[in-house]
Amino acid sequence: MQSPSLVICVTAPRLAFTVAAGRRREELIGVPAALAPEPGKQVIGEVSAAAETFGIVAGMRLGEALARCPELTLVPPDPVGVGERWEGMLVGLESIGAAVEPGPPGTACFDARGLLRLHGGGSGTGAWQRDALRGPLGAVLAAARRAVGAPVKFGVAPTRFGAVAAASLSRVRRPLVVTGGQAECRRFLAPLGVDLLRSRHELAALPDTFARLGIATLGELAALETGAVSDRFGSLGILAQRLARGLDLPLRPRTPGELVRETLELPEAVDGLQLERVLGVLVDRLLARRERRGRSLRAVILSACLVEGGGTWNQQVTFREALADPARMRLALTPRLGLLPAPATSLTLAVERFGPAGGDQRALLDDPAEVRAGRLGEAVRQVRTVAGPEGALRILAVDPDSRLPERRSVLTPFEG
Amino acid sequence: MTPGQKRLGVPRRVRVQAGAGGQPVRVDDREVDCVRESWLIEDRWWTETPLRRRYWEVVTVCGRNEVVFHDLRTGRWWRQR
Repeated sequence: MQSPSLVICVTAPRLAFTVAAGRRREELIGVPAALAPEPGKQVIGEVSAAAETFGIVAGMRLGEALARCPELTLVPPDPVGVGERWEGMLVGLESIGAAVEPGPPGTACFDARGLLRLHGGGSGTGAWQRDALRGPLGAVLAAARRAVGAPVKFGVAPTRFGAVAAASLSRVRRPLVVTGGQAECRRFLAPLGVDLLRSRHELAALPDTFARLGIATLGELAALETGAVSDRFGSLGILAQRLARGLDLPLRPRTPGELVRETLELPEAVDGLQLERVLGVLVDRLLARRERRGRSLRAVILSACLVEGGGTWNQQVTFREALADPARMRLALTPRLGLLPAPATSLTLAVERFGPAGGDQRALLDDPAEVRAGRLGEAVRQVRTVAGPEGALRILAVDPDSRLPERRSVLTPFEG
Repeated sequence: MTPGQKRLGVPRRVRVQAGAGGQPVRVDDREVDCVRESWLIEDRWWTETPLRRRYWEVVTVCGRNEVVFHDLRTGRWWRQR
């Protein structure tokens, strides 16, 4: 019989803030500081401990944060640095044999069952329940701490949600371990607030509703009748209640990837047409890399270092179909350069996900009309998915010879 | 018109200052440089909502080519394009 899961959650507190602060970390320790809003957004990112004493939290609107603390120091965000640092931590965990399921930067989970014998020496059955941190589990946690190489918090529980909850209550040198099965996990979660459900992005809106209805703890949520929760909150309510009852879906570890990227440092900050040419060079270089082994690219990450301490900027671009054609890649990527908030001093293009080798094999000669129509139909379908039914329209001539211009043609939904 | 359809080239209100003979002198505060063409349209006179429009194709001093019309029933000015 398979033993219950033993999920370890690793959280790196204030990872984004620490990375963005960089060398200024020491000077920012005692002062209220927060990550400045990312371009196009109005909410601040992670905040320092001193800022929290003013009631400032991540996700607060900038105006409200400054009203609460006019001396608040804003640190330019560094999403590229955070991504690199976090990727380094994940690779460290994978190096000890963990199959990691990454969450948002700063949070990751893995199942420790397979690692107990590897790092602990014994079978691990039962030993970790009696004195968890002195047995094989303690050895796994120590190995993970060494592999990550940074102060992180650990939570251990039979489910992912339980482990995340345990990690949120633990301290850097004091992991919190919830032993046993579903019943023990449910008992552990019962007194905790429903705010913990925000750790699942699809449930982020539910805690406010629960609070309005007087449901303050996960235990109260778990005790409700399932039918009533389903009627009121639908599938999301059912999911929230399952989590509160110590149940969760199995982990979905990522496939350890290979880092393929190209960077071009620029002698001076550039934007516009010059940056488009730089992007063209990066696309050509990336496609020429031997590690690609003929595979097409499904998704890439375009990132840049901004001029004069403006931090970094990045954008993930998923192609409509896997590509290996530089011209089509440039067409898809060039508009993203327009979103850069400032001139760039370096530009990086990295592969996020590879597609199949060869990709979509096109005809040598002209495409037949039905193939073109099929591609057009697929494009229209995707546009409608993103922009709604009125995302794709066509002009229909209803009375082209009318003397009144407004009667000659109409816009009508595209069919076909 | 079926649901989901939208007319193209629908006239929009415009401020026009007319001179002698109803000829536009200013369109949206831009002085008219020359009148290229003018024509009259009368339509739907057999219905309860007949149309009577005096169209003017003009070029303003900034070089814009405008087509405006004077609704002779209501007295209002509209831009056609």
